[in-house]
Amino acid sequence: MDLRFHWMLPKPGEVAMPTALDAVRFRCESMTSRTSPARLTDMDGWLTFAKHAEEAGIDSSLIALTRHEPDPLLVACALAQETEKLKFIVAYRSGLMQPATFVQQFNTLSRFADGRVALNLVAGSSTAEQHGYGDFLSHDERYARAEEFLAVCHAFWRGNDVDFDGRYYQVERGRIHTTLGGPAPEIYISGHSEQSEELAVSQGTTWLRVADAPEKLQPSVGRMRARGTAVCLSVCIICRPTRDEAIRHAQSMLPAGTTSNLTAVKDDSRMYAESAAIERDAYFLKPWLWAGLAPHYGPVWTTLVGTPDDVAEAFIEYKRIGVSEFILSGWPEIAELDLFGREVLPRVRERESRMRGVA
Amino acid sequence: MNDALRFHWMMPKGGEVGMRTAQETSRVATRKAESPAAIPDIEGWTRFARSAEAAGIESVLLSFSRYEPDTILIACAMGRATTKLKFIVAYRSGLMQPATFVQQINTVSALTNGRVAVNIVAGSSNEEQRGYGDYLEHDERYARADEFLGICHDFWRDGDGVNFDGNYYRVENGQINTPFVDPSRNAPEIYVSGHSDAAERLAFSKASAWLRLIDTPEKLAPLVAKMRAGGIESCLRLCVVCRPTHDEAVAAAKALRPSEAIEKEERAILQASDSKGLKDALSAADDIGWLDRNLWAGLVPYYGSSAMTLVGSPEELCDAFLAYKNIGVTQFIIAGWPKLEEMMIFGRDVLPRIRQMEDQS
Repeated sequence: MDLRFHWMLPKPGEVAMPTALDAVRFRCESMTSRTSPARLTDMDGWLTFAKHAEEAGIDSSLIALTRHEPDPLLVACALAQETEKLKFIVAYRSGLMQPATFVQQFNTLSRFADGRVALNLVAGSSTAEQHGYGDFLSHDERYARAEEFLAVCHAFWRGNDVDFDGRYYQVERGRIHTTLGGPAPEIYISGHSEQSEELAVSQGTTWLRVADAPEKLQPSVGRMRARGTAVCLSVCIICRPTRDEAIRHAQSMLPAGTTSNLTAVKDDSRMYAESAAIERDAYFLKPWLWAGLAPHYGPVWTTLVGTPDDVAEAFIEYKRIGVSEFILSGWPEIAELDLFGREVLPRVRERESRMRGVA
Repeated sequence: MNDALRFHWMMPKGGEVGMRTAQETSRVATRKAESPAAIPDIEGWTRFARSAEAAGIESVLLSFSRYEPDTILIACAMGRATTKLKFIVAYRSGLMQPATFVQQINTVSALTNGRVAVNIVAGSSNEEQRGYGDYLEHDERYARADEFLGICHDFWRDGDGVNFDGNYYRVENGQINTPFVDPSRNAPEIYVSGHSDAAERLAFSKASAWLRLIDTPEKLAPLVAKMRAGGIESCLRLCVVCRPTHDEAVAAAKALRPSEAIEKEERAILQASDSKGLKDALSAADDIGWLDRNLWAGLVPYYGSSAMTLVGSPEELCDAFLAYKNIGVTQFIIAGWPKLEEMMIFGRDVLPRIRQMEDQS
């Protein structure tokens, strides 16, 4: 099976950001400012993105759910009307509505989107944000509830009358006449906790987590694969014709005033200087995997950095340990997306066909 | 009183736009699992929505049940496919957190430039509610709906954080960043439907309009006046059969009656419901057929209480609507058979006449 590549849907307003740093700043502010344009919808920007994503060979776009942004089920519904191929992975949380209602909404969306929808079920978010939605369960209980939530959803998707008597949900002869119109959706379960792994195995199709060095991921990926669950990594990507340019670009995304060992890269004796810089920079988990943005922006900013060959090779390394899908982000989105489609994806496919030839 | 009357229409269920008769679209048919009513009808709805815009209809009401696709998603998809028409989304208050509901409605408003309104229904039959995981009884459902709308209003007023501690909902520092997007409002219009005292109270305290079944103007006058005194509009649900002459209209209306088999099943549905409005309408229909010269209950035993029908010539219907305007009614939500053609007749023969009379007064 060829690797599958997805891309995060840009926040409303983000596609218009001119530089990577502007886009990064915009994304960070969208999570704190009450007046960020990210709270609105951006059909023009999204459709531009979707067109480029389809051309680049992207499979699906993940649409996040937070209280700072529009509802992802509806964003997917609007975008599906005006796209042809792109699929939508809708993030949703299990404490927000009755599972029967969620199934009715999701099935309706699936009908409007000709089946181009998948689900990223999130057990919850920060306690403060959950309280704002009227959800007061603890972290562990949220996972127990998510388990029941998905069990009820699966029962509806299997059809017939649904009866369920759990701790969090009861349903008596439940029936939703609007069907999916196709097979049950792919279900991505994200999280790094043991509970998320268990939930992914019992109710999901795919475990979604942030990228780390392959050797670090190998045990958990192996475990998931052995239990029949696919693994998808979320990672940012900075790809440039030369490694130097890629590193310079990565560096431009650091907040102003931040010094990094990366600045030590000199023009003369570049290779030597680069490797020296990498050695000094503890944030390089691999020569092509940089966590330098994480201290400033958060853990989801782990980034693949390098030339098209470096990055293609990195994807193949993950494939070797059993990872089958990626959800990418890049800065600025459209330029990085185009570059990925033009320079990286063909290299990945070429390596994959060589691997098949050998096998 | 000089504001123009507002006319909305029931959105046909999936597959109904192409159907010719009332018999085909009865609830007995649409509640079957294999009914086309279960599947979005993008083509039929687009045709209907564009015809509604051409006919001068302001909004369509999307009915909510477990037999049909989700109304909020339909409003989103059809809102993107139209430019003027508004969508009144029927929803029940026991199905999701109010914060989530606000986030969804606000998102639709942002995608359609505010062309969405809400019809909150406290619940349906106990049986259907339990299938959704809702085990409250009729009166408690109204108490919950009251809290639900209270919280929604708090979010729409948009403070620095919504705090609420009620019997059914609790919210701590709630915040939904996506606002209700509309050139002239910061919250959707809210229709509350129902005939019980609890429904009236809920409409009075939390709605912009009370939605109820049509009755004679004399019967409705005191109720409508009471709502108006509280600043609440009244909106009537009805069906119309309009033909060039009174006799033709009556003949067309009578032809809508179905076979005995459908009548029996429909009666069973009505009797199982715990809605007061449905039961009142049923007994009215049993007692009398014609409530006045143009208002006919003859279809209610077959198609439910919302099948109370104004029957007549364009002149008669125009006069009838203005009689309701005189007692303070401001809006109507109409249905007819065949779904599309009756709306086009209304837009061509009735509405221009009403507008003319309104201009003269």
